[in-house]
Amino acid sequence: MGSIELVCPAGSPAMLRAAIEAGADSVYCGLRDETNARNFPGLNFSPAEMKAAVAWAHDRGAKVLVAVNTFARAGGVDAWRASVDSAAVAGADAIIVADLGVLAYAHAQHPGLRLHLSVQAAAGTAEAIAFYAQAYGVKRVVLPRVLSAPEIAALVRQTDVEVEAFVYGGLCVMAEGRCALSSYATGKSPNLTGVCSPPDSVSLEETDGLLTPRLGGFMIDQVAPGAAAGYPTLCKGRFEAEGTASHLFEDPTSLNAMALLAELRTAGVRAVKIEGRQRGKAYVARVAAAFRAALDALDRGETTAPYEARLTGLAEGGRETAGAYRKTWR
Amino acid sequence: MRTRHRPRAPRRGDPAEVLMALRPPAEWVLSAALRRLARRRPEVFERLGAFGDAAFLIAPDGSPVAFRLAPQGAAAGVQVRRRDDRSPCAARIEGPLGALLGLFDGSVDADTAFFSRAIRVSGDIEAVMALHNTLEAAELTLADLLGLSAPVSDLANATVRFVRQAAAAKAGWA
Repeated sequence: MGSIELVCPAGSPAMLRAAIEAGADSVYCGLRDETNARNFPGLNFSPAEMKAAVAWAHDRGAKVLVAVNTFARAGGVDAWRASVDSAAVAGADAIIVADLGVLAYAHAQHPGLRLHLSVQAAAGTAEAIAFYAQAYGVKRVVLPRVLSAPEIAALVRQTDVEVEAFVYGGLCVMAEGRCALSSYATGKSPNLTGVCSPPDSVSLEETDGLLTPRLGGFMIDQVAPGAAAGYPTLCKGRFEAEGTASHLFEDPTSLNAMALLAELRTAGVRAVKIEGRQRGKAYVARVAAAFRAALDALDRGETTAPYEARLTGLAEGGRETAGAYRKTWR
Repeated sequence: MRTRHRPRAPRRGDPAEVLMALRPPAEWVLSAALRRLARRRPEVFERLGAFGDAAFLIAPDGSPVAFRLAPQGAAAGVQVRRRDDRSPCAARIEGPLGALLGLFDGSVDADTAFFSRAIRVSGDIEAVMALHNTLEAAELTLADLLGLSAPVSDLANATVRFVRQAAAAKAGWA
């Protein structure tokens, strides 16, 4: 049983260096436009920065995976094709893609470029994964965060495609790649413009410690003085229904599946992924170091338990969950 | 209609008055360093994109004065303002000095600081995000902002590290 590859996020060249210095085997990042799902102001790489970052990473034995994982706009596919071309020119080790048209273009134009299927494609069955492998030569699938650990084990047994699973960071409403909630309030969504809850539509008002976040003018929560807050997304908003205020869509908790690393490795998962390209150097250095230590402990035949409390306080909303990996609600 | 502000009557011993009286040299040093940085590393400021001309009011908790930062454009520079300054700016960022310094050099995770409510932001959130991401990518130190060179820069950076780590350990937002 081989080591699991640790895949970490980078929103800038500085964050990429921090991730690799902290122990990441691979780093994923995107170009500075709508072709990746973290299209926030000031974030991401220019083509020149990408090329330099790939060279820097390769000098240290690390890989760079470029996310071109939004869905190409009908009648305007040039940006997505340009991003695929830029990634290839930069010498990226793989690109992470969700859209069928982008996959087809990359497969045809850059046959030597390794293709990973983005979580945004929501391919969670052996049949779906086999289609992407046969049609476009996809080598790895990033699983949607809807499967339990036993379900992942069963899936791995049915496919030859490498499996990558998220183990840490923010969670989205299932099914992934199909969420348009943000569009209803702002006109923009992660899969079309690469941004969920675009910051130009966010406002935060604090009065006597009571924080009121609004999205597109709609109040979506009220956070009591001193209580943990999160980035205001509709899915994690709190709404009143039938007289009771609650998180109707999803609790504001973050995934932490470090305790499941051994189970995922036994299941045959090839790589584990950390969410959070928008977070920064301090975040990625701390998370990458903790997971590096845990994975190294696994390789030595030891438990990951000593490392599981290292990430306290980093989670959005201040709370963590093992998510769908342990479907306790079933 | 323009509003004319009546000057405040100075109060003897008022810390804000004392600091405001001392502001010209501080503004000169900080603004000169910012412009020097813009000349030396223009790529840092490119990340600001449409927010190059935006101004940010940065107010350390407990300080009677705040800093108005205009990263780029004709009015690029740093001005010292009263904490309750309400002149137009893109956004206001408040928090403990240690956290603000940590955000400046990227050693503090901004989301964690925001989630824990240590940092409070208001105004144009997109501009705040652009500034944060720009600083994150820049890998600046306080010595860069002050335009210091070794060995003074090493001392300044070590002091900042100490202040930040002590504050972070106390507040739990490291």
